[in-house]
Amino acid sequence: MDNFGNLLDGFRIAASGYHVAIMMAGVLLGILVGVLPGLGAPNGVSLLLPLTFTMDPVAAIILLTSMYWGALFGGSTTSILFNIPGEPSSVATTFDGYPMARDGRATNALTLAFLSAGTGALFGVVVITGLSGWVTQFALKFSSPEYFAVYLLVFASFVGMGNTSPFKTVVSMTLGFAVATIGVDTISGNVRLTFGIPDLVKGISFLVAVIGLFGLGELLQTMEEGLRFEGIHARISPREVFRTALTLPRHWVTLLRSALVGCWMGITPGGPTAASFMSYGLAKRFSRRKEGFGKGEPDGVVAPETADHAAGTCAILPMLALGIPGSATAAVMMGGLMIWGLTPGPMLFIERPDFVWSTIASMYLGNVIAVVLVLATVPMFAAILRIPFSIIGPMIVVVCFVGAYTVSGARLDLWFALLFGIVGYLLKKLDYPIAPMVLAMILGDKMEDAFRQSMLMAKGSMGVFYSNPLVGTITTLALLLLLWPLVSRLLRAAQSRPAGKTG
Amino acid sequence: MQNPSAVLVSRFVAEVALATVTAAIGAVVTLGALEFGTGWGDGGPQPGYFPFYIGVIVMLASGATLVEAILNREQHRATPFLRREQAMRILAFFGPMAGFVVLAAVLGLYVALIVYLTATMMVQGRYRLWRALAVSVGSAITFYLIFEVWFRVPLLKGPLEALLKIH
Repeated sequence: MDNFGNLLDGFRIAASGYHVAIMMAGVLLGILVGVLPGLGAPNGVSLLLPLTFTMDPVAAIILLTSMYWGALFGGSTTSILFNIPGEPSSVATTFDGYPMARDGRATNALTLAFLSAGTGALFGVVVITGLSGWVTQFALKFSSPEYFAVYLLVFASFVGMGNTSPFKTVVSMTLGFAVATIGVDTISGNVRLTFGIPDLVKGISFLVAVIGLFGLGELLQTMEEGLRFEGIHARISPREVFRTALTLPRHWVTLLRSALVGCWMGITPGGPTAASFMSYGLAKRFSRRKEGFGKGEPDGVVAPETADHAAGTCAILPMLALGIPGSATAAVMMGGLMIWGLTPGPMLFIERPDFVWSTIASMYLGNVIAVVLVLATVPMFAAILRIPFSIIGPMIVVVCFVGAYTVSGARLDLWFALLFGIVGYLLKKLDYPIAPMVLAMILGDKMEDAFRQSMLMAKGSMGVFYSNPLVGTITTLALLLLLWPLVSRLLRAAQSRPAGKTG
Repeated sequence: MQNPSAVLVSRFVAEVALATVTAAIGAVVTLGALEFGTGWGDGGPQPGYFPFYIGVIVMLASGATLVEAILNREQHRATPFLRREQAMRILAFFGPMAGFVVLAAVLGLYVALIVYLTATMMVQGRYRLWRALAVSVGSAITFYLIFEVWFRVPLLKGPLEALLKIH
């Protein structure tokens, strides 16, 4: 097996002392970021990214992915102990995790959450390992029209599968594209949309935007609701952890179902948040103890956690293989890849197998390390939230702005971060999705280049997007998804009309 | 005292205002793109082609959002967007934050973070000056060690650092 050999090579690189130390540092930073309100995984990765510019890409991706796992675990911790989701994707964990902790079963809830999350993540990595070898077969079939069609598919799926107004999704993503076009045009060399401001020539970095939109925007929203931490003290006894671990196999049906949901939502750009909600809903529907849900049902912790982490890990595959990130955090990491001089896409598997496979190997190791570390450090991190918010809040603000400044050392970025903070707060409150905007900022240039190169190849004929079966299928799928909100609305109208007449 | 749960802005007003602003941004993008030609040039689509249509789509989608808001106006008018109490909390947090940015742009990040942390700890957390100063100066030193010494990433410095010859 080729995959297996590659994976072993990957392990040889990832299991070195230096890389394991980086994994541990990444996981601990990630837990910290996940525990603190306002600092989530996408934002944490953005803050850390400028510090990796000088690192070796392998070490850098291990640091960032480990931070991602840590942040996912940290988010679950606050959901269970404080009823405050540290991450949007761990909202569903609060439904049953917090009631369990309130009933004095905090250790059970935390152990179940971490172990099922670890299981979900490992399941996700196994899926990635299996699919990766297959990706390389596609590699040489991809050229500009295929890339453009795939990007179109990604953005169409946001419109088609989102649960808010499709128009708001379109506004959000096209504003992202507009921001991406600011600065030097990579094909013609023209300086576009700077309106005479010299500092805009290099464009607006998506990292600054993410720090503002996710970090500061979320903080503003947290402040508005009036923050109160009513934490439950967690004392983790090893015997209790062990006893709970033995009950995990009993949840195998939920584990398997949630892992599958997670993998599907991670590979398609549904993302971990949607995956955890969907999995929670399914667990409740199929459970024999429906009335226990919401009051501290262990299955209600296992389901969202497994799906969340399976989706989180699976989101890495389309990012590496196609250049399409399955979650906002994966999108930021992909931006990092491009900054380190790597081009995400099928060719990466052929040109840099060492990078791809050591990343995958580090995902196995990183998740195991994360489960152990998070169990060991939960009491310490829970104590951080007992520091008064008048210290922690401003501290997070400072970290965000320092992070925004380090992106390129530009004073103007401080103002942009502030501006994006206000924008993020407003968009969130009015139900505009933010992930498509960030993705558009990251992919904007690549999508435009792919479009213009396709047009050049075809001398201006749109027919190029139907010139072979592969690109034709992707384009058709994209158009179907794009029109789906309209179609479903018409179908619903058609169904309700006869019903209205009889009633 | 005024009622803290009085609604300052309704959801309807907020929806309409934001849709109008995004439409205006769309118009600016479209006009900005006209500068470069939006059609087919010697080298394929001209540089203005992509931004031009992006701007047009922003305007169209904003228009549709506006129509949606108007169609749901009765429900949206009854939904509060911002209450007085919330506005006060936001201002109490955002004001100092904006002040920090202004200060950072003028005096550099280190001075700004010491002033900002000390002030918020004293005013909002009611800490004594020496404790607030200890925490804020301590964090400034931590930032210096992490960024400048460990990762060799310089942070924004102002006139004070120049005076003290810290680079």
